[in-house]
Amino acid sequence: MKGIRKVLTASVLAATLASPALAAELRFTIWTGNEAHLKMLNGYAESFRARRPDVTVKFETIPPADYTQKLTFQIAGGNPPDAGWLMEDAAPTFAKAGVLEDLAPALNAAKDYDFADFSKPALGLWVNGGKVIGVPFSTSPFVIFFNKDMFDKAGLEDPLVLAAKGQWTMATFQDVAKKLTAANGKPGFEFKDGQGYDSRIMHALMPPIRAYGGDVWADRKCGLDTPQAVASVRQLHDMVFKDKSIVAPGEKGDYFSGNSAMTINQISRASLMPKAGFKWGIAPLPTGPGGDSPVIGQAGIVVFAAGKQKPLAAEFVAHVTNKQNVAIAAQFFPPARNSVLASDAFINSNNLIPPAQMKIVGDAIARGKVLPAHEKSPQLLAAMKPRVDALWRADANVESALKAVCAAIQPLL
Amino acid sequence: MEGKPATSPKSGPTARDDRAPWLTLKMREAMEAWLFISPTIAGFLIFFAGPLIAVIGYSLTEWNLLSQQVTYVGLANYRDALFANADFWHVARNSAIFALGLVPLNMMLALMLALGLSRRFPGVIIFRTVFFAPVVTSAAAWAIVWKFLLQGEAGFVNQMLAGIGIAGPNWLRDPDWAMVAVILTRVIKMVGLNMILYIAALQAIPRDYEAAARLEGASDWQIFRAITWPLLGPTTLVIMVITTIGSFKVFDHIYLMTGGGPENGTLVLAFYIYEQGFKFFNVGYASALAMIMFAIVMALTVVQLLLRRKDT
Repeated sequence: MKGIRKVLTASVLAATLASPALAAELRFTIWTGNEAHLKMLNGYAESFRARRPDVTVKFETIPPADYTQKLTFQIAGGNPPDAGWLMEDAAPTFAKAGVLEDLAPALNAAKDYDFADFSKPALGLWVNGGKVIGVPFSTSPFVIFFNKDMFDKAGLEDPLVLAAKGQWTMATFQDVAKKLTAANGKPGFEFKDGQGYDSRIMHALMPPIRAYGGDVWADRKCGLDTPQAVASVRQLHDMVFKDKSIVAPGEKGDYFSGNSAMTINQISRASLMPKAGFKWGIAPLPTGPGGDSPVIGQAGIVVFAAGKQKPLAAEFVAHVTNKQNVAIAAQFFPPARNSVLASDAFINSNNLIPPAQMKIVGDAIARGKVLPAHEKSPQLLAAMKPRVDALWRADANVESALKAVCAAIQPLL
Repeated sequence: MEGKPATSPKSGPTARDDRAPWLTLKMREAMEAWLFISPTIAGFLIFFAGPLIAVIGYSLTEWNLLSQQVTYVGLANYRDALFANADFWHVARNSAIFALGLVPLNMMLALMLALGLSRRFPGVIIFRTVFFAPVVTSAAAWAIVWKFLLQGEAGFVNQMLAGIGIAGPNWLRDPDWAMVAVILTRVIKMVGLNMILYIAALQAIPRDYEAAARLEGASDWQIFRAITWPLLGPTTLVIMVITTIGSFKVFDHIYLMTGGGPENGTLVLAFYIYEQGFKFFNVGYASALAMIMFAIVMALTVVQLLLRRKDT
């Protein structure tokens, strides 16, 4: 009897001691603090517990402006998160440094995952030589937000109507912006978040350059000095300094408070519109001589190679990016899964954007190209910035300024 | 008096404590002194000397923070910065221009304000507070307000200038004016600190000197030149040294106002070091730049001290 009691006591003690060892907490870094986003993410953690009851997931918010920097410090300091979001411009840098774990084995092992369902162009940044360094969770095309009231006041057809007629071109865009400026006394267009001359250089230049059939760089060669790029940037320059229809460098605009008639942004900014106090809509980017060329911004989910629980973290990433969960996220983050993109659930997912306009988003994802990224993105942007500053002088020679940009960045490419 | 002489075992320089008879009083006092200053010494070693030595070590390496690849490169980072990197000299020149613009302007303005506000008159406290308030205002709030005021055509400053027939520049976007704008806004922000130092120094000058000079018929200017200014010498030296060091270390103001632009026109040393270390993750190179900046600031401080010693 005494012996049995000893065995029982030892078993209970062993079980008690063993349970905490089995329990695991995954650290997952994100850049959103939005309550609805957090609720959704915590929902993923809950549903993961159905399979892994002993695993909890702790989501850590790092402000977007410092995100890449702080993540780097965590990795360098030997305290990396297990998994996290990663911005598109950081992906090549992180991949080159070898700090991202290959997710292919975990995704292949996940039941009913269907990796082939992801849009191929959307995987460009994340799949390299058979390795999957991340899974895109937000594949968000840039669209034109327009102030319908300002268009009505100017007696102009809005971009949606023009796009439906096939007349929403770069030339029309310039013409409309000029007329809106004259009619409303406010600039016709503002670059993304008013930062087109500073931190959003790429977002300002890329859409028109691609509409003209060019690119900032491709195949490690600078494309800013090509005739297409020069023509497109010359148009922007004219709009800023001749037409005065784009918010000028050093001036404040802000579309979202009614101080410009149009802007370029992603659908996540639609959350600002209920408070805007004017009628609005979203439209595709204007087409140009290069045809229809949607531009996409992207973010992915990665697992860090220095993390302590890599297999578990990879399993969680597979869970978060399965069909069911991508469909849930589509209300906030446009998906890269074709099956979700084609579904009515996606078209009807955003209660701020009508289904017809959400279809524009879906079309742009299917046909668009992701913004260019490079393993030396920070250096490239730093090298571009002073030369692009020189471009935004009223008397600048656009062609010479763009040649100077190429001269500065080509050695880095 | 009978009995034993009233001598304490603890008296005298060689007295020993019963609990530690091997310690002399001198040794005990020395130990106590070291214990009292040990927190400060520990803080100095951990937070100043340690990082400084580490930075010297880092500066001799090529260290990519992200990949954690560290390679010893000797003095290559210094050679590259000083002899191969044109950006470094551009940035050093910007820092020098910033310091040359800010230090004299700040000191002159601070002295003028202090001369006006060192005497008591109704409302003097309010005036002092008004000029000191920007010093304690958050740098971010200060930058946001000034960026708004210094907009191109729509900016308040340019609208005021337009009112008197002057077409103001696009302050923060024009490479010829951006440095002027950041210097002026920095001077306005920080002048209150030097003003307070000067006020304290002025109030410490005995009134008798001025009274005696006035009896001899000295003018205000003569009193200032012959009495006030020489007696402000030590304070002026301190202000000059701390303002010069501060101007070479300026980072937040540039980061928030111009981000180093336009056309790298306001890219100063501290901001360049930040870019190299925290944006490009070249920790070794950033450390070498930091050591060069340390040497420049140290040299300027020594020169100022020597000049002052020569004057006196």
